[in-house]
Amino acid sequence: MLSNLVVTNQKVVLIIDQLNRERIALKFIGSLLHEQGEGAEVKSLPIGTQLQHVASFDAFLNELSNNNNNNASAQSPGEPTIKPSYNVILPTLADLLSYQTPAYIFDYLNKLRRSDHVRRVFLWASPAHLQHVDADYILAGCEYLAELVLRLETETTLALISRKPGGGVSNKRYNCQVSKTEFQVSPLMESKEAKEATIEEDNVKAADPGGTFKIELDEDEMVARNALTLPYEQHNKEPTEGNIIYTPDADDDFDDEDPDEDLLI
Amino acid sequence: MATSVLLACGLNEQKLPGFVHISEESNVDGSFLISCILGQRLRISNAGILLVCLQHHYKHYFNAGMRLGYNTNIFLGKTLDVIDVLRDMACQGLKSKWLCCPQGLSLTEQLVVDIRAQLEKNYASRSSYTILIDNLSILFNLGASKLQVQQFCQSLADLAKEHENLTVITKLSNSDIHTLTDNNVAKLGDVRIQVLRMKSGVFREVDGKLLIERVLDEGSYSCEQSRKEVLYKVNDRNVKIFNPGEIGVKV
Repeated sequence: MLSNLVVTNQKVVLIIDQLNRERIALKFIGSLLHEQGEGAEVKSLPIGTQLQHVASFDAFLNELSNNNNNNASAQSPGEPTIKPSYNVILPTLADLLSYQTPAYIFDYLNKLRRSDHVRRVFLWASPAHLQHVDADYILAGCEYLAELVLRLETETTLALISRKPGGGVSNKRYNCQVSKTEFQVSPLMESKEAKEATIEEDNVKAADPGGTFKIELDEDEMVARNALTLPYEQHNKEPTEGNIIYTPDADDDFDDEDPDEDLLI
Repeated sequence: MATSVLLACGLNEQKLPGFVHISEESNVDGSFLISCILGQRLRISNAGILLVCLQHHYKHYFNAGMRLGYNTNIFLGKTLDVIDVLRDMACQGLKSKWLCCPQGLSLTEQLVVDIRAQLEKNYASRSSYTILIDNLSILFNLGASKLQVQQFCQSLADLAKEHENLTVITKLSNSDIHTLTDNNVAKLGDVRIQVLRMKSGVFREVDGKLLIERVLDEGSYSCEQSRKEVLYKVNDRNVKIFNPGEIGVKV
């Protein structure tokens, strides 16, 4: 399930949607959390025209901290202190940009990231809906802030970039099967057929350089070329020991005595 | 006269979806849809309509209605209310509230205020209420920014959510140029009607193509959508529709 990959220890999660699913963004994230049993600890900002008021953003932050404090005070003194915290689902980036400046959004995202009362922050961005002139840079900025970037590439593939606290980064791609209620994923294996197809494609590209010379090879030519052993390859085939092959001449005069006998070696 | 086209678009029922968006591609005219919807809503007893005229003034809709078989003047001031921005500008010039912004409000903000005022006045006494905005791209010509238009549509969508029997119908022409605005407005509603030109060129018997997309069910991870495509021909007194492939070249 996708939720196993997305609902992790990473705090800021950015979902880049290239499939125009923005209308179900909140439901999508909510379902991911629900699958992992965290559906009860979700808070989301009001959407629509209420986003134009900065006060509603501040009120939301205050609400998070107040709820946490209330929960903490409700715990009996003997119990071990559990730090309550929430999963925050932000409105989509397109909606945020309709009412607030990029600087404010980044600042707010950073505040949420630093807040002790926030377990995870989810932000949804659909490039097809980002109207800001600097949308590409803003999206790149969000990617920079995010610790987990889920990119819904096509109906059947997705990519997941995960930045771990130690500095390690993993970039994995997955196959996915999406139904209305389930999002199944499996690691994307490059099949042999796909590799062969790629090699064939490369060959086709090489065969069509756009020049006037015929530099591509027929099948027969290819076989002949592969069968030909080049001089340096012949050299490699010979035994590695330094044998001297000497064919004696008819006129050779061999001296049986050792010429170095007097050296006492 | 226009029943078939409304039937194809799923807009022939008494209760319409909360937000409907009509995207009109360049070089096609989808104004007939507004006139068709207007006529259908006027025929429902005690159904209120607010027509926001941005592309044409009220007279245009009156003339179009007469050709399609209804008289808007009978309903004007009763179930039909009109915000005629163009007429105000023509009559009052720079003193018009749409141009001089007397309360420091932008054009789109002023429109929202006026629409809200009309809604508060009439909504309670009507069985349903429809707001027709024709058309959003004129707001760009009148100096509104893309963000302002988006905020305007968001306000309208909020109104539709606040009022159960309210339907907002917007139209945006040159949707292929204003793609992002078009996407953002379309996502606010469940029904999107795209008025497209024929890819094969101009044809005497067909004016263009309607692509009707309707969200049937929003699942957790994907939406169930229906897509329907019909061809249309706007005649002098009616609008005809055909299924793709129904009309061919006659030898």
